[in-house]
This record gives sequence, structure tokens and C-alpha cells, in this order.
Amino acid sequence: MEDLQNQNQKITDKIREISTQLLEEKEVDLIIGYSDGTFPLSNLPVFIREVDEVEKLIWNNLCYVNLASYLTSNISRFIRKEESEENLKIGLVAKGCVARTIIQLSLENQIDLNDIILIGINCNGIINRKRIEKEIGEREITNLSVKGGDIIVEGKDFEEEFPFDEYLMELCKVCKIKAPPQLPELSENIRGDSQDISDLHLNFDDIKEFEEKSPEERWEYINDLLQSCTRCYACREVCPFCYCNLCFVDQNMPQWFGKTAEIPDIISFHLIRALHLAGRCVGCGSCSSVCPVGIDLSLINRKIEEIVKERFNFVSGADLTTILPMNTHDMDDNQNFMLEEEG
Amino acid sequence: MLPELYMPKLTKIRNIRSENQANDIKTFELVFNNQEDLEEFNYIPGQFAELSILGKGECPIGIASSPTEPDSLKFTVKRMGTVTTAMHDSKEEDIVGIRGPFGNGWPIEDMKNKNIVIIGGGFAFSTLRSLTEYLIHESNRSEYGNITVIYGNRNPGELLYEPEIERWKKRDDLNIYLTIDQEAEGWSGMVGYVAPVVKEISPSPDDSIATVCGPPIMIKTTIDVLKELGFSSEQILNSLEMRMKCGVGKCGRCNIGNKYVCIDGPVFSLKELEDMPDEY
Amino acid sequence: MVEKKLEKIIFKQDLDRLFEESLKDFTVYGPIEKKGNIVFEKIDKSDNLKLNYLNSKIPPKSVIFPQTETLFEYEKKDDEIIFKESNNVGKKRIIFGIRPCDAHSFTLLETFFSFGKFEDDLFLKKRENTILIGIGCNTPKNTCFCTSVNGHPFKDDDVDIFLVDLTEKYLVTPISDRGKELIEGISWLNNANKNDLKKSVELANNAESAIETNLNLDNISEKLDNNFYNSLWKEISEVCIGCGTCAFLCPTCHCFDVIDEEDHYNNRGRRVRIWDTCQFPLYTLHTSGHNPRSSRIQRCRNRILHKFCYYPQNYDLIGCVGCGRCIQYCPVNNDIRVILDKFQKLSEEEEEKLLVA
Repeated sequence: MEDLQNQNQKITDKIREISTQLLEEKEVDLIIGYSDGTFPLSNLPVFIREVDEVEKLIWNNLCYVNLASYLTSNISRFIRKEESEENLKIGLVAKGCVARTIIQLSLENQIDLNDIILIGINCNGIINRKRIEKEIGEREITNLSVKGGDIIVEGKDFEEEFPFDEYLMELCKVCKIKAPPQLPELSENIRGDSQDISDLHLNFDDIKEFEEKSPEERWEYINDLLQSCTRCYACREVCPFCYCNLCFVDQNMPQWFGKTAEIPDIISFHLIRALHLAGRCVGCGSCSSVCPVGIDLSLINRKIEEIVKERFNFVSGADLTTILPMNTHDMDDNQNFMLEEEG
Repeated sequence: MLPELYMPKLTKIRNIRSENQANDIKTFELVFNNQEDLEEFNYIPGQFAELSILGKGECPIGIASSPTEPDSLKFTVKRMGTVTTAMHDSKEEDIVGIRGPFGNGWPIEDMKNKNIVIIGGGFAFSTLRSLTEYLIHESNRSEYGNITVIYGNRNPGELLYEPEIERWKKRDDLNIYLTIDQEAEGWSGMVGYVAPVVKEISPSPDDSIATVCGPPIMIKTTIDVLKELGFSSEQILNSLEMRMKCGVGKCGRCNIGNKYVCIDGPVFSLKELEDMPDEY
Repeated sequence: MVEKKLEKIIFKQDLDRLFEESLKDFTVYGPIEKKGNIVFEKIDKSDNLKLNYLNSKIPPKSVIFPQTETLFEYEKKDDEIIFKESNNVGKKRIIFGIRPCDAHSFTLLETFFSFGKFEDDLFLKKRENTILIGIGCNTPKNTCFCTSVNGHPFKDDDVDIFLVDLTEKYLVTPISDRGKELIEGISWLNNANKNDLKKSVELANNAESAIETNLNLDNISEKLDNNFYNSLWKEISEVCIGCGTCAFLCPTCHCFDVIDEEDHYNNRGRRVRIWDTCQFPLYTLHTSGHNPRSSRIQRCRNRILHKFCYYPQNYDLIGCVGCGRCIQYCPVNNDIRVILDKFQKLSEEEEEKLLVA
């Protein structure tokens, strides 16, 4: 494997090159990408409008936010009136999952592909920060970098190495679509890297352990997993597919579910939100990365995606000519589960 | 411990009076279960209370009755959300929780010896009813100057407090002008939006205080007219609406800048509002 | 602060004796690890205690101001309503090992909840019955900035007893009257010696030098107030995704929502309060649909102004303790130090640039 530092530098250079070009030739008004954060292990999404700001754009293995969520900033009239970025041409730094998000959002009629240019990159994975922090314990990290095939973590009086492949996010370990898919309908929109997905075999090894549990064990596992939730909704706000004007938990006429941080309410929120994401979640892992109390939320979504693949042979964000299994209804659809037997 | 600050006192609904044709605005007359609670509930016009329907929630409603109406409280409620709908679905003798009185109220002390111009629009007249009844009461009337009431509505069916208004019309110690937006059959009052009607009536700003309540657009246009007529920012008072939960300045949501509408308001002079951020 | 300090020493191996013997009449909360996070939970032994922690994930305000708190329960019997209490405000608590920044947050919360005509008796009674045993920060983090907001890693004003980690033992200094009373009642503690005191001062100085962030917040309240409509707010709020992380992990944030829950079939219910934040659009949404803070710019601005402008204007205190949690856990690294610095350094020319309506 090529030295990680070199890989990242090449990707950074490519992002800057393409961004400069797009801005100079006025093909886009705005570029959304990543930049260095203000402290070790942090990463900051940036909005670039001038060529001299392009230097801020970087790529490293901490770029965990799904940038597509900035495109579905809610524009509901009376709840969240945002400054509309409609009709702006946007250049989006896109790893595979971000590109898949764009494809799915386009099918859901939330964005117009004519307004988007994807600065495609071949993502080499996101580091599992929580796991690293756990290994380091209560010692402060002053620097995190990659070199060779390792993650180097430095502190005031220590330096430790971790094998990169092992300390990636679990989702990244099984990821098959690392760059924007080479779809004919998308070819105009992609600059930079893209990936042939004609022979796609998905891997769900990351949820094998969960699947081997009995239903009772799974219920216990989920209760245990979700108990520290504080209802901050970081997971919901960062998710590009959570763009409902009024989330089901915020409805109060009627109040479908409780809003407290007691277990029954927490379970209702997370499980039902996961169901709302069925057939849509692209496994970007942003929800797990942003959760302030470190809940691995993507587990539930992954299991649901596996079921969707099995039952509908559908993978979200991989095809611009498909219909959406959760959004499409035909009068001939099998409704045996709903209708009573006649006679 | 039962947290005293958040415990509602219990009242029963004695009477429900429908106020408009659409039947979505009703005045509820509430009587305290405990005499002690009634005696402790000392309020002035312009204050509000947090009304609870237990199990549904709590919401802030301006007190429509005047403290001169002694043994019950009146609240005019429009059916809009969870709690107000639950209130509208209630019947006489049902229990309603109440916390209060909250807010600063109309500055009835500072208003003494002044001419009062009471301007209301639409459904926002409830604390102005309280103020009017208070000012004209025999124990108070002599302490105030001329009283002018200007009340506008979309149409005659939306006019609230018809019995009170009939009583006020008969008095010679206050001038009352009613107006509706457009001509309607059987209407003998004025016609036009509140702002031009105020301009026509042209109340003098000398030694006057104007209290303005209504929908945002009505407030804005009326304030413009009052300023044209010579009213200063200190002479114009507004009662603001805000989303509230605790009503006592602790939950945080009703802030405008460093002020809380539930304790520093809801009554603010225009001068105060001009110094506050534009977030209301 | 008490004039004469009666400093003591407790060896780390004697902590269990402290909890099991001397503090057995109290419910003690300390920093433990739970599901990968350091949080303040009930402890009865020192086994799980992580007193060398950098800082807790959930701030210790959660001990007396929890995310979900029942205000009261009620039951409908015939035509009557019976209220039932569900808060044990009389419980004698100790929060053991609280950092100076978090301890100061208790002072700020107390100021707020007792200010003005109304006092939040629920919070204040619990606060009254809670003793704070603080611990100095030997190794502040690069996201800490307590010294920029009138704090210090060894500040002991806000606690009843203050500990300093001297490697194999703790220096124990009683601060308040009740702290003094508590320590005097623990007869088996040894007195501290001159070296202990000297080492403590050394550690305090080292900690202060270790804080990398040095924000100039002179007149920040005025500066922010004068620039309420500045276009810089747009730039600052651009990355914000509008979640509640900063507010929920903030030791001084105190806004809450009040909701009723009904058990229709059993004629009973309860009223609860839960953490809420001005970052949520629903926070200020009127039932009519009007929203005074309908844009993200307004909401982002409100939080910062509340802490650095309105708090000083109302209570003459900065509403931030510099713990750095909002910096560390903000999903998009919207760093409050960067924001404040940008405002502080606005030139006259830049102050002219206003938000477009």
C-alpha cells in the first residue's frame, strides 16, 4: 500500500487543483469541502468562494462529515427559514458515500443535479477516533498523523502507533464504493476520481456479530447501546436524509412519542428514525461520528440496509435510473399483509 | 418536594362564553377551588397566567378580567394548539390549572392623570378589556383622564366582548370607536383598517399614553400613525406575544436580547423595543 | 474563602475508607467511565473512580439538573386531582472530584435560578444540599480556556473542599464553612506538610502555563452588542448544523422545555422538564407559525450573545466557564474561541458590514 501521507497529499492536491479550476472558470459559485480543525482529531467543513481560499481545502482521514447534508438545509417556511442557496452552482468534495447521497437525494427530488459538480476523490477511509481515544485513555493527544500504513498518535510524553487498517471506522472497512459511481447520467457532474461499480458485491461483515444474536439478545443489546442518548439530535441534523420540515418526534398534535431521555422514548426515536432511513441510508457513518456520547448508531441502519438489499435487491445511491423501493407504489403491489381474506 | 414555582393551583370552569361566529374564540370564567388561592392571586391589567390542562400541557394566556371583577378570572382563548384545543373541548365544572399572575402588566400607576388611548385589533383585545374595565371602575375612574377605545376587526362576527362593548357604549366617560375592515350589512360603526381610523379620530398626544395590541402588521401601521400624530416612543405601549413555557424567566425561550418577555414584559414601551434586538 | 486553612492529606489507597466510613451519610457522585464516556454517577467505592480524568463528557450539572426531571405527578380520582411529588430534594449529595470550571458553573446556575422575583426552588434546594469537592487540573487540555473567562485550573472559590493530586496522595483543603465542618469530622486524616503545599503551588503554576488558549475578552459584551447585525454572523453560522450538542454538553446552559405526559387509561400523568436549546428552531416557534428566530444565523448568534453579552449585562458575570466541551464535541468544529476572537478583532471598517435583510 502506498504511504498514507502520500495518498492524502495527492488527494489534497487534486481537490485544490479542481477547485481552483472550477472557481476560475466560474463553473461553480461555492465549494464545500474539508479543512483542518482547530485541535488534534478535529475537522472543519468549509465554504470556499474565492480562489485564494482554496488553500484551506485538505483531505485527511478525519473528514467524517457527510457534506451533502448542507444541501438539504431545510427551507421550510415557518420552522426553519434558512438563507436559501438555491440556484447556486455548488462544487462538493465527494468521497463515495457523499456521491451516493447526492444520487439518492436527486432521486428523491431534493436537489437538482444540474446545480452540482462532484469533486470526486478515492476515499482511503476515516479513522475511528473514538477507538483511538479509548486506547489513549485520559491522556491528551497533541497530534495525530498518518505515516506508512500507520496512525501516529502523539501526546506530551508519549507516542503510539496503530495499524491504519485496523483502526478505521467499521463501515469504512467493508466499504465498496469509495469514489463517486461511474454512472452515465452522472458523468457530466464528476471531476476527479470515480469508480466502476458494475460488479458490486456488498459486504455486511460489520454486523455479523449482531446478526448472530437472538431477538432477545438483540433487544438487550440495543437498549444497552442507546442508553446514554441525550436527545441532542446531532445524528438527525448531520444526516443528509433527515430533511423533514417537522420531525416525527417534534410533532405535538398529536404527540406521537415522548421527548425525554428515558429509555422507551430514546428507543422510539432511534428505531423509527432508522426505519425512515430504510432504503436511503448510504452508510456514511456521520451519525456515529458526531454522536457526542459515542453511540454507534450506524449499526441499526446497516442491518436495515442488508434487509433492503435482500428483499428488494436495492442499494441506495448506485443507480440514477432506478425506482425507489420505499417510495414507489403500484396498484398491482401485493397487499396480502393488509387486506382481510374474502369470504 | 412539590416545586412551588411550577405547581398549578386548581380552578373549575364556571362559564364558557363563545366570543365569535367561527366559535374558535371563547372566554372561560374560572373559579379557584381554594379561597386562599383566590386571595393570593393579586393581579393588574396586562398580566398573564399559565393555564394547564393536566396531561396536555400549559400555555400563557392574558388575563381578560379586571381585578375589579372580584371572585373569578376570565381568560379569552383561541383554539390553536394542543392546550387551547383541550380547553375548547372542556366543559363547565372541568378542572383547569393556573399559575400566576405573571408579567409586568400595564403601568397603571404611571398612567394616572393621563389620557389613555386604547387601540386593539382582532383577537388581541383581551388584556385591553382588562385595562378598560379597570380604568372605568368607580374606584379608579377619577384618577385617569380621557379614555378613548378604538377596536378593529375583520368583520362584525369577529368582534369580541359584545356585552361589555354595549355597556361601554352607554357610558359618557369614555369614547369608543369600532371599525371593521370592509363594509358589512347591518354595520353602523366605522369602516377601515385600524391605522387609518386612528388617523381619522386623531387622538391628541398631549399627556397621553397609547396602548396598542394586535397582529404585527396592525401594530406597525398604527405606531406609524401615532408617531405622525406626535406621540413619542415613550408614550406608546405594546404587549408582546412570545412562546413561553415556565412564565417565570427560567426556561429561557422568551428572551429578546437580555430581557425575558415573561418577566420584563409582556408590556414594553416602544422606546424599550427600539433598544432591543429585532427578534420578536 | 476561609482565612485559616487546615490542609490535610489523604492517600489514594484510603479513598475507600473515606467513602465507606466518613461519607456514608451522603450520596456520593464521582467521575466514572460508562460506555466509553466519563460521567458523574453514584459511587460507593473508589474502584471505578477516574479522578485523573481530563474532563467529563456530560457536565456534572446533570447530577442536580438532569436531562429529564419530573416536576410533579398527578392522579385524577373522581373529580379531584391529587399531586404527588417525585423529587428527593432533601437528599444529601456530594459531587466528588469536580473540576474548577464545572464548579464555577454551579455558581452561575445558582445565580440564574435565584435571580429576580422568582426562584427555582427545585434546583436551589438540591444545590443547597449538595457539597462540592473539587480537584485541581494538573494537565489542562488544549481546548481549555478557563483563564480567559476569569477562571483558573486551581480555582477553589466555588467548592466546599478542594483536592490537589500529589501523585500518591491528595492535598485536602477545606474552603467553605461546611467543607471545614466535614473535614474536621474526619479525624483520621493526616495534616499536610510544607512540601505538600509547595508542590501544590508548583502544580497550580504549571497548570496555568499549560493553558495554551489566551483570549482577550475585554469589553467583549460591548463589542458583541454593538455588532449585533454584523455580517460576520453569517460566516460564523454557516457550518453550524443546528444540533444541541454544544448546549447539552455545556455546564452553564440551563434552558428547558416543559411537557405533560398522560396515562389516559389509568387517569394519571406527569409534568416533566427536559433539556432544551435555543439552537432548535422549535424553541421559539409560536403556535401561529411565527418564529422570532427563524434563521440559523439568529439562533447561533443568540447562544453566543447569551453567554458573553446578556449574562454580563444581567448578572455581571460571563456565562461561560471555559471548559472547552463545545469546542471538542461540536460535530463541525465551530470553535467558540475563533468566533470570539473574530469579533474582538473587528476593525472599524469591518464593523460597517451588516447582514443583508
